[in-house]
Amino acid sequence: MLAIEVQKLRKVFQTKQKAAGLKGSLRALARPDIKSVEAVRDISFEMQNGELLGLIGPNGAGKSTTIKMLTGILHPTDGNALVLGKVPWKQRRDLAYKIGSVFGQRPQLWYHLPAIDTFLLFGKIYELDDAVTKNRIGFLSEAFEITHLLETPVRKLSLGQRMRCEVAASLLHKPELVLLDEPSIGLDVVAKQRIRDTIKQMNAHEGVGVVLTSHDAGDIEALCQRVIIINHGKIIYQDKISNLKRHYLTSKQVDVRFAEELTAPPTLPGTDVIKVGRYGMKLKFDTQNIPVAQVIATLAEAGNLVDVTISDPSLEEVIRTIYEEADKL
Amino acid sequence: MKRTAVFPSLIRDIRKYWAIFRTQLVNSLAYPLDLLSRSFSMVLFMWIFAQLWRTTYSASGQESIAGLSLNDTLWYLMMAETIILSKPRISTQVAEAVKDGSIAYNLNKPYNFILYHFSVSFGDSLLRLVPNALIGSLVVWRLAGPPPATRGWPLVFVAVLAALAIDFCINAMIGMLAFITEEIRAFEWIYAKFILILGGVLIPLDFFPEWLKTAALSLPFAYTTYGPARLFIDPDWDRFVTLISRQGAWLLVCGGILALIYRKGTSQLAINGG
Repeated sequence: MLAIEVQKLRKVFQTKQKAAGLKGSLRALARPDIKSVEAVRDISFEMQNGELLGLIGPNGAGKSTTIKMLTGILHPTDGNALVLGKVPWKQRRDLAYKIGSVFGQRPQLWYHLPAIDTFLLFGKIYELDDAVTKNRIGFLSEAFEITHLLETPVRKLSLGQRMRCEVAASLLHKPELVLLDEPSIGLDVVAKQRIRDTIKQMNAHEGVGVVLTSHDAGDIEALCQRVIIINHGKIIYQDKISNLKRHYLTSKQVDVRFAEELTAPPTLPGTDVIKVGRYGMKLKFDTQNIPVAQVIATLAEAGNLVDVTISDPSLEEVIRTIYEEADKL
Repeated sequence: MKRTAVFPSLIRDIRKYWAIFRTQLVNSLAYPLDLLSRSFSMVLFMWIFAQLWRTTYSASGQESIAGLSLNDTLWYLMMAETIILSKPRISTQVAEAVKDGSIAYNLNKPYNFILYHFSVSFGDSLLRLVPNALIGSLVVWRLAGPPPATRGWPLVFVAVLAALAIDFCINAMIGMLAFITEEIRAFEWIYAKFILILGGVLIPLDFFPEWLKTAALSLPFAYTTYGPARLFIDPDWDRFVTLISRQGAWLLVCGGILALIYRKGTSQLAINGG
């Protein structure tokens, strides 16, 4: 069953333009220059119940605007969307009972109060029985390892701790779908990993569908089964993460170390030498031009190999390639 | 998730907004010293008013002006100041939520955005009312003597709640102008001055020329401060009924306009920062 069905969704914002200086301000007063900005351009996609879908793109690509239309906060200029069978901007309040959301840069927890107070308030807002709320708080506190943080005022929590509480709060009413807009923004590597682990765990245990936006490809790679790449408000790629890798991960990087000093580095047609040292070298090549085995064999002939590392390009590199291809079109 | 099915929807809604109100009460208590120290501005204001009006009464050579004695005037001003100083800056909060995008969090929860802010506003106001009224009363009692009447206090309390509700509607309307203008400080400033003059905070409306008093009484500002403060010094059932019915009418008008602005604003919402 489909959790999200989006057809030709479009959002145009009207923004006032103003030239610099006093003259520009006066001119803007007399004759305001209104410019239309197309933030989302006719995007269409679907998402299955319980799926982990990544929405990735650079800043200003239209990810957050899309999420806001899917939660019903923003009305689209054109197009249709159904989220859990409801039109978000027309049935926002009904939909709110079924979805959870986290907007990374906008806290929903009451800043001066301990997180437990917001959790209890959310229990009332989502019309849960008190006993159900308490059980749910207990379960989420363990899952997100926040039991010891519940009674600390939110303002005194670290960003990582706060984000774990934010995501837990969004799951309090056991939504069928959560929309997480940049949940890992500003977090260090450890905090990011903890957030990712808990989201994965909730998806596996409760079957909650997750739409995750991020400009960190690592989030999407670690969490999502399928990815949609947005740039300039348009979908430029949508497929399974595995297909994305298979299609774009055709280049390899090989890093080798030799036992003895290299007198003459080997010549390998079809490869790009990135770095040559006294005891090793690093090169990059496309596996469609030259097979990995041939590269390793040639390197092994050049000297006594003591270490070989073969790595794929990062997802970030892959996405950069896709952006560049899309920009050329 | 299982929701409570035993309560009809109205009771469920009341529980919801009551919880928001209570959470705001707790939130306001997070900084009790700040709360208390703000109330101490009542001491300064009431002292200044006492000096000013003592001189005025003495210069006029009369025991009472427009039917109000010095004692009445100072207790009237105490009540008007208590209401004014207990109002949260709801217009600023709403405007900031529109401008910085945090309105998104208010809109994607299963409650009414306006009633959410109404509950928050009341939670904030009621907690400020108590210390403001207490400190103000102590000062005026010391400077001018006991309050003119105590029998009408429950009626005054009801009128103060209605006054805060009208004020909320006007302030929220001003806040929602941010949907169109983004900057609302000019409107806040104008409203504050209207309250000060036409709401009778600076001078009781009874001291105005008749035509100006009549004009002021035909506007909503008088019912946010003058009405309850006047009832406080001269409690009377008929006065209460007149006041509460006019407050009710203004509440309907202001609430209706607020709902229209809200509907129009949210359909054209553009959230800053994507």
